[in-house]
Amino acid sequence: MIEDNDIILKQAARVLTPFILIYGIYITFHGHLTPGGGFSGGTVIASSLILNRISSGNRGSGPEIDRMMGIASIALVCYGLIKAMGTFFPDFTHRVLPRGIPGDLLSGGAILPLNIAVGFVVACVMYIFFCLIGEEA
Amino acid sequence: MKRITVGLLLGAMLVVLLSTVSEMPQFGSPSNPTHNYVSSRYVGKSALETGAVNVVTGIILDYRAFDTFGEATVIFVAALAVVSVLARGGLSGD
Repeated sequence: MIEDNDIILKQAARVLTPFILIYGIYITFHGHLTPGGGFSGGTVIASSLILNRISSGNRGSGPEIDRMMGIASIALVCYGLIKAMGTFFPDFTHRVLPRGIPGDLLSGGAILPLNIAVGFVVACVMYIFFCLIGEEA
Repeated sequence: MKRITVGLLLGAMLVVLLSTVSEMPQFGSPSNPTHNYVSSRYVGKSALETGAVNVVTGIILDYRAFDTFGEATVIFVAALAVVSVLARGGLSGD
């Protein structure tokens, strides 16, 4: 349990957390351009959330876990729906999500939304793992 | 007698395995059976067919996207199992 006088830890974590979060979002969004993608980006996002949690003290985690499970399930269903749409209606999907110029950020068809969905699932699941296991200890 | 039989069987198996290893294709040789039309199509046409510059992402999220769907489902089910075992406050009371 973090005491109230750990001001250095709290301020350092407060400065670092948004940068780690932005880096995770960058990895997730550039999955089709650079090494990375939903899995690694989601893990970095979860590490920023975990840093925020362990530096600001151990709060109760019941509603947070509920919300995270909801987000992960919605992201998983979205992944399945997007991929099913791309499989069964390829022409419509190519009009909505064009393949674009290789190298652009908005290119690659359905790869970018799928990466974002995977990133949501991985980030939420990692955060849930840390919440539950840290709670037990 | 039993030991001799076991030793003979193990020796025979050793001979079979070592002869198989000596017959294996050389590592990195261009005529290996793994270098077939699948890998040449992935390497040559991935950027055209998927629009992704990163070939690995093109494979795991376009050619084999349902495999990645299964991986994400495995992670999610693992989270469900951990929550059902460890959660005290969340997901059970309300």
